[in-house]
Amino acid sequence: MSEALGRVVATERKPNTPHEFHFWTAINSPVGIGTIVRVDGAQPMDGQIPHIYGIVVEGFSYTDLQSPMHDVLGHDGSPTLAGFASTERAEIRLYTAAVLRQIPEEPLQPVPMGQVFLAAEEDVHVALRMDSYLKEGANTGIPVGVYRAGGTDAVIYLDAEFLLGPEAAHLNITGVSGLATKTSAVEWLLASLFTHFPEEKGSIAAVCFNVKGPDLCYLDQPGKIEKSDEALYEKLGVEPKPFQKVEYFAPYTAKGLALNTFRNNEELLDNVTPLTWGLREVLQYAEVLLNKDDIDAKADALIDFITENVVDKEFPADGILQKNHRVQSFAELDAWFRDILQGLEKKNGESWRTHHVATIRKVRNRLSNISTRCAGLVTDSGAVSDLPFGSFEDKTVYVVDVANLEEDAQDLIFARIVSKLREHLERRDLGVKHLVVFVDELNKYAPGDGPDTYVRKMLLDIAERGRYLGLVLFSAQQFRSQVHRRVVGNSGTALFGRMDPDELSTPGYAVLSPATRTKLATLEKGQLMIRHPHFTQPIFVRFPRPSVMQGREGSERYPQSSEISLEAAILRALRPLDPTITLPWVQEITALYTEQEVIRARNATLLARPNDVKAYFSSQFLKIIPAQPAQRPMAGSIRSVPENDPYGF
Amino acid sequence: MLVSSSGPDAESRAALRALMRRLPGVSVMEGGASVESRGASDPPNLRPATIIEGTALRALRVPDFSPEAQSGFGAFLDGTQKVQVVGHKVGLPIVIGTVSAAVRVRVDRRMTTWGDELPRVERKFYLPLRYLPALVELAADAAQANWQIVDTSTADRSGEYPSQHPTVLLERATRAVEQEREQLEDRMAEAWCARGDSPIFIDGGISRSKSVASSPLAVGVVKSHHTLYVEGDALGIVFGLRKGERTSVFRVSPRSRHSVMSWYLRLRGGEGRDPLWGLVRVEVAERERPSDRANEISRWIMAETTPLSLPDGRWDKLAYGVRDCEEFLRAIS
Repeated sequence: MSEALGRVVATERKPNTPHEFHFWTAINSPVGIGTIVRVDGAQPMDGQIPHIYGIVVEGFSYTDLQSPMHDVLGHDGSPTLAGFASTERAEIRLYTAAVLRQIPEEPLQPVPMGQVFLAAEEDVHVALRMDSYLKEGANTGIPVGVYRAGGTDAVIYLDAEFLLGPEAAHLNITGVSGLATKTSAVEWLLASLFTHFPEEKGSIAAVCFNVKGPDLCYLDQPGKIEKSDEALYEKLGVEPKPFQKVEYFAPYTAKGLALNTFRNNEELLDNVTPLTWGLREVLQYAEVLLNKDDIDAKADALIDFITENVVDKEFPADGILQKNHRVQSFAELDAWFRDILQGLEKKNGESWRTHHVATIRKVRNRLSNISTRCAGLVTDSGAVSDLPFGSFEDKTVYVVDVANLEEDAQDLIFARIVSKLREHLERRDLGVKHLVVFVDELNKYAPGDGPDTYVRKMLLDIAERGRYLGLVLFSAQQFRSQVHRRVVGNSGTALFGRMDPDELSTPGYAVLSPATRTKLATLEKGQLMIRHPHFTQPIFVRFPRPSVMQGREGSERYPQSSEISLEAAILRALRPLDPTITLPWVQEITALYTEQEVIRARNATLLARPNDVKAYFSSQFLKIIPAQPAQRPMAGSIRSVPENDPYGF
Repeated sequence: MLVSSSGPDAESRAALRALMRRLPGVSVMEGGASVESRGASDPPNLRPATIIEGTALRALRVPDFSPEAQSGFGAFLDGTQKVQVVGHKVGLPIVIGTVSAAVRVRVDRRMTTWGDELPRVERKFYLPLRYLPALVELAADAAQANWQIVDTSTADRSGEYPSQHPTVLLERATRAVEQEREQLEDRMAEAWCARGDSPIFIDGGISRSKSVASSPLAVGVVKSHHTLYVEGDALGIVFGLRKGERTSVFRVSPRSRHSVMSWYLRLRGGEGRDPLWGLVRVEVAERERPSDRANEISRWIMAETTPLSLPDGRWDKLAYGVRDCEEFLRAIS
């Protein structure tokens, strides 16, 4: 049994309660804010010595000095002389601890007087109620980090039932930017989840939205791991290696030549798939891109009409429409609109099929604008390249890189992908049973104030109902106080990295002691404070640096390609499908066609992934008989005049 | 020595209940009234002493003293006493006396309790058994128990018994508690002198115990000046000492005590204050070269003037280490 490091004390002014107690320690004791301690009561209760587990939330230090002036006088006003005093003043280290657990749990009484011990690993398990989910045969623990204090190294586990449902779910991370906390923590936690997620609970995958910088762009590349991190990995039972299965998705740039991602270096394109959607995909989520002023009841009705009756259907000519239409792309939709409006103009009509001409103009304007606002993502041609809904694979990370996109395009991507994921999970045909969706910058997507956007409504829906489907939200933001309360409130687990002092001064953190808030404001890299349904108080842990290449290193090692020529873009896109393709071949095939036609052919080829890439790509072009150089007609040979021809013929 | 007050402990309350069973009609005083020590019973006096450093008492500056000077003391000793009147029986005071003493050693500039001789806290009843015959048997039983009874009505050296006057009996009890405290302090000091490894700063004189009075480790620092060991012009020298000055060394040989070397030392500037302010008398065992010894010890004592012992009212003379002993004893007694 270890030596006692303190004694519980209580005074009338500072009494102990069932949820808080005070103790003093030697000056050199290894106790600090966040240290877990165990109190052994002196008097047995029902024949059992009570054990109380607590976490230090506040510390006080003072001497017997009654007034600072006494110290000044005692040293003749010279701080230097103070160092020569033969005796240090009597000094106390007094700590306040919040109760984590009392055993026996009933009757719940104020913490008794007793000796205080540093919690050993098994004490930590009991204190945090981890013993209930780390049982042999029913272990649902997911290591999240190591609690470290005074020589105790204890692995802290989250309960998968409360992290991924069904009991509770979702995880939210808060922390200042630039300290490798939020993204690193998620990367580490996903690695731990993929390693320790109980097999009997089924398969699991993750969809990560990379909304800024290159942080998530190199998850399949090994990163630098220090010795101390290796030890942590070993302790936590996770192999320090990058993710084995990662798929990247990114739309094209507005020009449509290169993928609009930090990961567009040729060496890394193997697992990068273009993300392109057509009219049908976008129209279902038009609400995302159109604000309330855009979509009144009339406009909504017209959009519904188009979705139901126009897109992908033969739409015959009528009194207004001059010709039959089959609308499959934005270009065709625009032609359809143009036809209607011209028809109305000719007949001086004000409405078509109950839709007023002003509404038609407005909807046309807004919808046709989408392909411009979301250029690179939305194709006029209608070509669709999407996430593999229905064939998601276990322990695979799907990264959707939207970092370089306009806000509208980001919203559209986010809304559609999450909606599709939800639909598939409802039908149980996504391919995996559990899916983690990671979204950073939640301040932006689910703000506490501001307009009620489609994206925010959807995030609220996931937060409130996702756990029943296996759809789990891992979210992150710098300012938790600015995120919608129902989103963070529904996150069963909350992680906190180093915090901004301004953020800590908001009412949401009032439940934390001043010392805990101070610790939060000064956390080192790799340290987190955790709140989890099983833990009655927040716990501080260390987690290892993710074993993947960090964004900055990756972008230096694999620089982002600048905008390239059309031929080079085609070569880059097709070569992963057929390494024999060369630039001269591409140049020869595409020389006669417009940029639009070439891009259309590329998109079709990438979508089809044919066996004979060259043949398929070539077949996408209309046959144009190449011009042949005009043959100079052979001039008839001039007969030579016989020298002896007297007539000159 | 500290006089403190707080209610009797559980053990004493149990003893008091037993006492009340034997002695019906005791009126108990709620909480117990603490009695301040009245100090020496003799009037303040002047007593000449033999000068052993030179031929006449002089004021001498302690040489080589600076604020950076280090103290040679490795430990401090002090005792406390508490006198509580917990009840009356027809006006006769029923007193509980608590005495305690501790040696606190200094390790790396921090004070800690000496492990060789643990602090002692002793509680006893002080009763005039002559006037409470019903308790005589109880006194014999109490000796078996954890608490003892001290008879405050025994005859003095001249064979006279004290009167039944409550004040007389209370003074007797107070004096008896004081003696208990002195004996306890002496036992602790003797233990240190036998097993200690560095000089000890003792609050008060050292002449009661032969072994302490002759130990090179014991240094007694007397703060009260009930008896001044100078007279005539020498008084002016003592009162005129400036900060960092001491008197010549003289020999103190009180009745029934042991002879020691002594000198006065002014710890703090006393301009505009009481002439005894910041003045202590130091007692050490007699040694050769008293000047060197007095200078060395004086430097150590001067070095103990920081940190200040405020808010204690005796801070001008009270070393912080002694205050630490008192605070420690207050906490455990």
